[in-house]
Amino acid sequence: MSQRKRSRGSGLTQGDDEDFSVLPTQSPSQVQRNLESRSQEEIDRKVTELVQFLLVKDQKKIPIKRVDILKKVIREYKDVYSEIVNRAGRTLQQVFGLQMVEIDTKHHIYILTSTLPRVEGENLKQDIQTAKLGLLIVILSFIFMKGNSAKDSAVWEFLRRLRVHPGEKHEVFGDVKKLVTEELVRQKYLEVTPIPLTDPPEFNFQWGPRAAKETSKKDILSFVAKVQKKEPSFWISQYNEAKANA
Amino acid sequence: MAESDASGDSFSPRSSGSARGRLSLPSASRNGSVSQRRRRRLAASLGRPPASEKGDEEDEEEDEDDGEEPESERPRPPGSSEGGGDERSRRMIRNQYRELICSVQQNREDMLSSKSNRLTEALEEANQLFTGVSRAREAALDAQFLVLASNLGKEKANELRSEITTFDSLTFAEDLLTFMGINRTETEGNDSDSENTSGGYLPSSAWYKLGEEAEKYFRRAPSFHYMLGSFKSEPPMPRQRIERQRKAPGGEGKRAMPAQLKKMEESHQEATAKEVERILRLLQTHFRNDPRTPIFFFDLVVDPNSFARTVENIFHVSFIVRDGLARLKLDDDKLPVIEPVQNEEKNDDYSARAQNQVVISLSHEEWREIVETYEITEPMISPPDSIEDEMETA
Repeated sequence: MSQRKRSRGSGLTQGDDEDFSVLPTQSPSQVQRNLESRSQEEIDRKVTELVQFLLVKDQKKIPIKRVDILKKVIREYKDVYSEIVNRAGRTLQQVFGLQMVEIDTKHHIYILTSTLPRVEGENLKQDIQTAKLGLLIVILSFIFMKGNSAKDSAVWEFLRRLRVHPGEKHEVFGDVKKLVTEELVRQKYLEVTPIPLTDPPEFNFQWGPRAAKETSKKDILSFVAKVQKKEPSFWISQYNEAKANA
Repeated sequence: MAESDASGDSFSPRSSGSARGRLSLPSASRNGSVSQRRRRRLAASLGRPPASEKGDEEDEEEDEDDGEEPESERPRPPGSSEGGGDERSRRMIRNQYRELICSVQQNREDMLSSKSNRLTEALEEANQLFTGVSRAREAALDAQFLVLASNLGKEKANELRSEITTFDSLTFAEDLLTFMGINRTETEGNDSDSENTSGGYLPSSAWYKLGEEAEKYFRRAPSFHYMLGSFKSEPPMPRQRIERQRKAPGGEGKRAMPAQLKKMEESHQEATAKEVERILRLLQTHFRNDPRTPIFFFDLVVDPNSFARTVENIFHVSFIVRDGLARLKLDDDKLPVIEPVQNEEKNDDYSARAQNQVVISLSHEEWREIVETYEITEPMISPPDSIEDEMETA
């Protein structure tokens, strides 16, 4: 769907039909040439806007689509898109220690992850997001240790042992079922797919792309090992799999 | 490390089936309990010494027979390929295959259990049946059974794999609860098995503690928020924090308020009382100067400069009248006049006086008319501010 767009500030109108699903060629030479027609200030402004956009969009941990980036921030600067994104990436890294990671190469969807090593020490800011992460790591551990996929009935059976019930309101998480099957899925931490030909319908739980980027099988195995006070090599096949994956 | 054949389900090769080929099959298709009989038979055969194997089982067979068929007519499974032309035996075999397939499908869960040997038994039974097969039609059934059994076998093998690496989700859950700080000394009930949970008190910080540990294993980007808040706050997180901040100063503010209000009320009351007293003194002064002449009511209360002050004056005067310190009455011209009450009269028939009530209404227009008609040029009751000045100079 293309819309007529009024240009901002610079008065440049790059055609009335802006289709943000397609980028013009971004070969380095082409981009260089396009850059020359813009002022340094304009580009800097766009870079700053993009950095702010990414940071705000990441607040709710919902992945960011390139289409949105182009439509809301880049707009008429499409031809120098790659330059803006590169510079924004540098800013993110140098100022915030974050990086933009693509989790869907077909539809170009990104998330922000941290590049800094975790510092030992007490986390002063503990809020509901911290608690949700606790729930998430438990689910991810279960899925991994059970062979990278688990049926929903098995997952809920396991969570029941931790006093988390899908039908009841949890004192910390509230509607747990919604949290797990909607929020965590939307954030791409989990992937829940229906198993065909099952009645009543059953679902398969797997790691989502965000989980794969933000943590690793090796990390999760270390977590399980720590909790159970054993060495990670205690679980042979999982250990080998984690090693191969790293 | 657990042994790989802990489940005890191993695939027996076809050749072993032939050892039992000489055993006769019961006409069990009518009863439909092939597996049960087979199991009993196997159990029996395992318990007995091999030498007497054959003889004992034949006896058993006769016992189990329902007598639906006379012994002589019971078909013997062809140990050799004599069944080429025997339509009846072939139909029997097909029936048995179908029953076997059916029973495997019905008892899927049981077959999958690692503690059960039923899959092996079913396979052995099919082995048995196969010895009597010579035509394609029965062989097709055998193949169908094999597909079913191998699917089950694959599923069992999958489950077996995780058992080899001994990931026990039950102990994992228990260890997690321990990590989260569960207090197991307070057990409410001992039926932990029926409830599927363990006893103990889980503190409210449990999941936060776990989350804190979890953060070490993630490279999560911290959520970005302006330190001083932003105008467009949609995400619930910042809202929570802002709410918390607002609550704190709100509480203090509330506490300060009542103290202030009290003061104001007091001063307000004082002001009224003071005013009333002032007017009373005024009244008495005027009367001292000119006794026996009641003051014209409107002369007293009306302030030509301010309607509001007029109403206020009437209000204050009403206190004086209520307390019995002054008296309102109509003079000969039917106009209201006011005069202070003498001391000796004060105490008498106070109750009688109290029972007379008058409601005076005065609109802005009426006030204007009064001012014009009676030519009131200046207020008799001076506004409080000017009186203070007066007092200071005096």
